[in-house]
Amino acid sequence: MIVLDHRGKRQSLMPLNVGPSHPATHGCLRFLTAMDGETIVASVEEIGYLHRGFEKMVERGTWQQVVPYTDRLNYCSAIMNNIAYCRAVENMFGVEITERCKVLRVIVNELSRINDHFVCVAAAFQDLGGTTPFMYAFNPREEIMCIWEKLTGARLTNSYSRIGGLARDSYDGFEQDVLAALDSTEKALKDLHACLDRNRIFLDRTVGIGKISAEKAISYGWTGPCLRACGVASDLRKDEPYYDYETYDWEVVVGTQGDCNDRLQVRLAEIEESMKIVRQALKRLTPGPIDIVDPRIRVPSHKLAYQDMEGLIGRFKSVYEGIRVPEGEYYCGSECANGELGFTIVSDGSGHPYRIKVRPPCLTQFAAFHELVEGGQLADSMAVLSGLNIIAGELDR
Amino acid sequence: MVNVDEIFSVLEEKFGATKESKDKWTVTAIVPAAYLHNAVQFLRDESAIKFEMLVDIAGVDYLTYPNHEGPRFAVDYAFKSMSTPGARIRLKVQVPEADLNVPTLTDLYANANWYEREVFDQFGIVFTGHPDLRRLLNHVEFVGHPLRKDYPAQKRQWLSTNDYLLPALEKRLEVLGYRVVQRSKEVETVDNEFLEGSIKE
Amino acid sequence: MTDVAEKPNFITSSLDFLVNWGRTNSLWPFPYGTACCAIEFMSTEVGRYDLSRIGSEYVRFTPRQSDVLLVSGTITYKQAPILKRIYEQMAEPRWVIAMGACACSGGFYDCYCTVPGIDHIIPVDVYIGGCPSRPEAFFDAMFDLQKKIKDESYMKQRTERVKEQLEMIKAKTAEAKEEAREFAHEKVAEFKELVAEKEKEFVEQTQFWKR
Repeated sequence: MIVLDHRGKRQSLMPLNVGPSHPATHGCLRFLTAMDGETIVASVEEIGYLHRGFEKMVERGTWQQVVPYTDRLNYCSAIMNNIAYCRAVENMFGVEITERCKVLRVIVNELSRINDHFVCVAAAFQDLGGTTPFMYAFNPREEIMCIWEKLTGARLTNSYSRIGGLARDSYDGFEQDVLAALDSTEKALKDLHACLDRNRIFLDRTVGIGKISAEKAISYGWTGPCLRACGVASDLRKDEPYYDYETYDWEVVVGTQGDCNDRLQVRLAEIEESMKIVRQALKRLTPGPIDIVDPRIRVPSHKLAYQDMEGLIGRFKSVYEGIRVPEGEYYCGSECANGELGFTIVSDGSGHPYRIKVRPPCLTQFAAFHELVEGGQLADSMAVLSGLNIIAGELDR
Repeated sequence: MVNVDEIFSVLEEKFGATKESKDKWTVTAIVPAAYLHNAVQFLRDESAIKFEMLVDIAGVDYLTYPNHEGPRFAVDYAFKSMSTPGARIRLKVQVPEADLNVPTLTDLYANANWYEREVFDQFGIVFTGHPDLRRLLNHVEFVGHPLRKDYPAQKRQWLSTNDYLLPALEKRLEVLGYRVVQRSKEVETVDNEFLEGSIKE
Repeated sequence: MTDVAEKPNFITSSLDFLVNWGRTNSLWPFPYGTACCAIEFMSTEVGRYDLSRIGSEYVRFTPRQSDVLLVSGTITYKQAPILKRIYEQMAEPRWVIAMGACACSGGFYDCYCTVPGIDHIIPVDVYIGGCPSRPEAFFDAMFDLQKKIKDESYMKQRTERVKEQLEMIKAKTAEAKEEAREFAHEKVAEFKELVAEKEKEFVEQTQFWKR
């Protein structure tokens, strides 16, 4: 197409479609660029290729049946989404979960965050051309996924937390397994840093690429590691603490320049902070109940249901009709791997959700994508895209 | 130390906001649609706690809500403050079915663009002044607004060809200061209807 | 030549064996991954569950260079035309594996936007269940696919294709002959007319007393 720029000069631009089927777009993102040679002059994005109707599907089941759907939002760190949803509903009830449950939730939260950051970093390096870091980064993931398998029964989409507690308690040997996984994580981190910190190619391709200022990032609503890479120390675990996060000894990782390199390095550093939290949390793990004892919220256990009449009735009503969340509208956000995952919940007092809206952290980051790539080259757009960690399950719901 | 309730009382006297009784946990203010833009600008620039980030825009359809009186739709805005961490406020605009127009916030917050497109896509609420209101999640040939309560969940709609996106690209070039004088050869068809997005003139 | 090739014999079956051996042990997948199953596929590619030990050395993200279209993840109506196009662009021989509950049947997303199974769009060879499918299930599916390929007969396909082409050529020549015959008939009739006319003229000319 022929355009006239603001000075009146004629330019011939080529529209190039980087379509949904592309190695770097994870199968679900599309952007159309107007190219002047190798430089991107303008770009528009299209999403919705994985729109699965989460918000419509949850309206037809009960409140507990929403948990598997939340798994598949950010499928790289599935348990974090479960916990974010359960936390929102528990806040509506106004209940406080048990101590052991809090500590366990913190441990699985941080392990999921480590998993997610490893996937992001591995995919980013593969998109830039390096397959070795991809292999290195998936090793600790395997160990953590084995822990998930023993703990919850599934490797990836676990549905581990329940409203008012957890699905089941941890198994014997959980602490040793977690410590072994953390050792494997440390080794992988060391290998990754060795591959990347002073790698000429990696630095040339990511330093100074896809820069965004902090004001623009806030205007676009960025949260999570991408915002922290711009220099803004905003972390929901410190600003609005929950599950005793303020009592652990860890720090918020902040970048300086807001470019692609910072986003990836912030994620690698956050893995270290998460490891610190897990080690401290393991020391706090004391025996105790994991579910709150309230049949209106947490379904009575099998033992009670088979022995006690009230337990049986409670179980029946809880499973068939759903728990009765108090009527009202509430928004609650939690710090997930990509940023603030929020749920706007509208409840009509019955056992079925009336409306649950998910606030996905990646939507805001992808909305700013055109700002990051315009003016750069096509190869840079790949580096930028993979550094943003766009998970389509969350983006399109 | 300013409290969010005090911000709410300022909203009440300046913009006619009323407190949403359904929200028992945080502060939600129901604002008339005409005052929305000014109220949000006040929250962002001039209030004692500045709310710099728009967190989410959610649409709600109250068609099957038990004992609901009032307009059928509502649009929920959630704001967060970066300078005062921990301060959050929510605004709500009630939208009757007869007049589905709400002023846009795209000039105040950059992410309102996509959030409003999604609410339009799922509910059909039109945001006046939005630069590029078309569908976000559903495909171009989709007819209807799926998250409304009267849209059956299993009603499927096939797509024949994907959106060309070239009109959107041309719009973006114009925003950047370029002027398109000749369209792409591949797209020089007579079939203009085929090229437009989901909003037909 | 075609007669010899039509009957299966030692030569054709050996060629079949060789061709199938080559195909089964070098199935390069095209991971058309959209959702969670793609992450499990990534785990299958690396480290513990190594995919290259069965011959899928590297994944090729282009339909021209790959053999197996591995659809892992939910396919929505927005994605469907693209999936069809990618399938059409793949070069023969090609196979399709539907990985995961969403690709096989739509999964638990029974709503307005998901295609209830990719077999509404493209033909599928192997289905893998699971949400997401375990790496072991994926290997099982690859072995099933290899068994299926071993039963294929390249020479039979080739003879069938040759037969098809031969029929096509015969049909075309018959058509052309028909056309030519008609044309020839027409021309002959025309000439006969012309000759008759000329004869009449000539006779008229010579029988000047009859004018």
